[in-house]
Amino acid sequence: MITAAIQRIDRAARHLAPFLTSVLLVMFSALPVYLPGYGQVAVDVGLMTVFYWAIYRPDLFPAICAFLLGIWQDILVGSPIGLHALILILANWAIMSQRTFFQGKSFAVIWWCFSLVALAASLLSWIIVCVLNEILISPAAVFCQAALTVGAFPFMAWLLARAQHAIIRPLDV
Amino acid sequence: MKHRAASIAKVTGPIRALLNRFALLFLIIAAFAIMLLGKADTLIVERARSSVVDGVAPFMDALSRPIATVSEGVDRMSRFFAVYEENAQLLEQNARLLEWQSAALALAAENSTFRNMLKFVPERGVSFASARVIGDSGGVFVRSVLINGGKVDGIHKGDAVVNGDGLIGRVAEVGLRSGRVLLLSDLNSRIPVVEEKSRIRAILAGDNSQSPKLIFLLPGARLEVGDRIVTSGHGGVFPSGLPVGRISSIGERGIRVQPFTDFYRLEHVRIITEFPGQVAGQIVPSAARPPLQK
Repeated sequence: MITAAIQRIDRAARHLAPFLTSVLLVMFSALPVYLPGYGQVAVDVGLMTVFYWAIYRPDLFPAICAFLLGIWQDILVGSPIGLHALILILANWAIMSQRTFFQGKSFAVIWWCFSLVALAASLLSWIIVCVLNEILISPAAVFCQAALTVGAFPFMAWLLARAQHAIIRPLDV
Repeated sequence: MKHRAASIAKVTGPIRALLNRFALLFLIIAAFAIMLLGKADTLIVERARSSVVDGVAPFMDALSRPIATVSEGVDRMSRFFAVYEENAQLLEQNARLLEWQSAALALAAENSTFRNMLKFVPERGVSFASARVIGDSGGVFVRSVLINGGKVDGIHKGDAVVNGDGLIGRVAEVGLRSGRVLLLSDLNSRIPVVEEKSRIRAILAGDNSQSPKLIFLLPGARLEVGDRIVTSGHGGVFPSGLPVGRISSIGERGIRVQPFTDFYRLEHVRIITEFPGQVAGQIVPSAARPPLQK
């Protein structure tokens, strides 16, 4: 009886792992790093994690997780609240709807798709912020951030794959 | 039994799919609604934000310490290699500063005699709170930092934030033990400033670039590259005379000011919680201030 309960808790915790790792990684990304100019083009960790989980474990990362992660990111980073929430839901939805396309594709293809998603996300968030503030912001930093995020994706994917193997894999056997 | 379960699934399946589709729509609408709420009623959003940040501030504080130590170590190492050049520079600067010191001492003496002659009543002092930077703005659209000081430390919304180099920005949101500082380069930052010598007034407006620009200048105002810009104190939100930066370029992109502070190096900051003419975060109109003792 007790072991069954423990097993159930263990299972639930493992199911929550994708969301919790994303929450932690977004928090880490908000820490000060003391690199000149980095704070302005810091990689978008939220987008990377949402993309990864939507491809590899869509069952454990529903749209509501993307929404909550976005709100969390907006609160920590100080961006207009709701901005990342919207971007992440749309990214999550875009990948979910193309799920069959991603099955069995090589990492290079997935990386290429990520770069498209990152570009679209940057463009959309740039438009939204410009409209919200009624001002034209220079798009240079926005696209610089997109490029950095695309560059950092393989590392993040490797990190998340390790987490997936360590925490979630036992669920499948 | 099996047959029945299958037929139930046949009915609930499409409904569930429909719900899922609407959930997405609902979440998208919710995101838009929150965005509009944040734009229209900033108070609610601010309060929610600062209470969440209050909760995570201790963790971020603890996590940011090792990073700060590593960065300090790297900084120290890189300075070690420049020690010879730096020493020569400092010797030269020291000689120059000694000259300034004697000039300042003479002026201070002169000033105090003038004050005596005028029976000048000194204004009340300035009080500070200190805080550590625990979060960077990891974004393209905002220039702000999180600090580990809040209402319990006497910090109010709108307070000026400085470090040894000069003005950094103002407190935009404040929780109990944490706060968010809007840097002067943020596109929502507007600070009344004045050119130190000519006393030409302007507003320093951030636009998310490294060097904010001067706006609302009187036509015909003559400014030059290298002029020092300080806060003017107009509006009473900031004390006057806080060093802000130097004019770095005058051209088609407007008059740009290079702030004295390196925003990426912020580790400890000071928040001016009280200064003459202002009581407990409230701007007091001069008529309502307690009369000065004669």
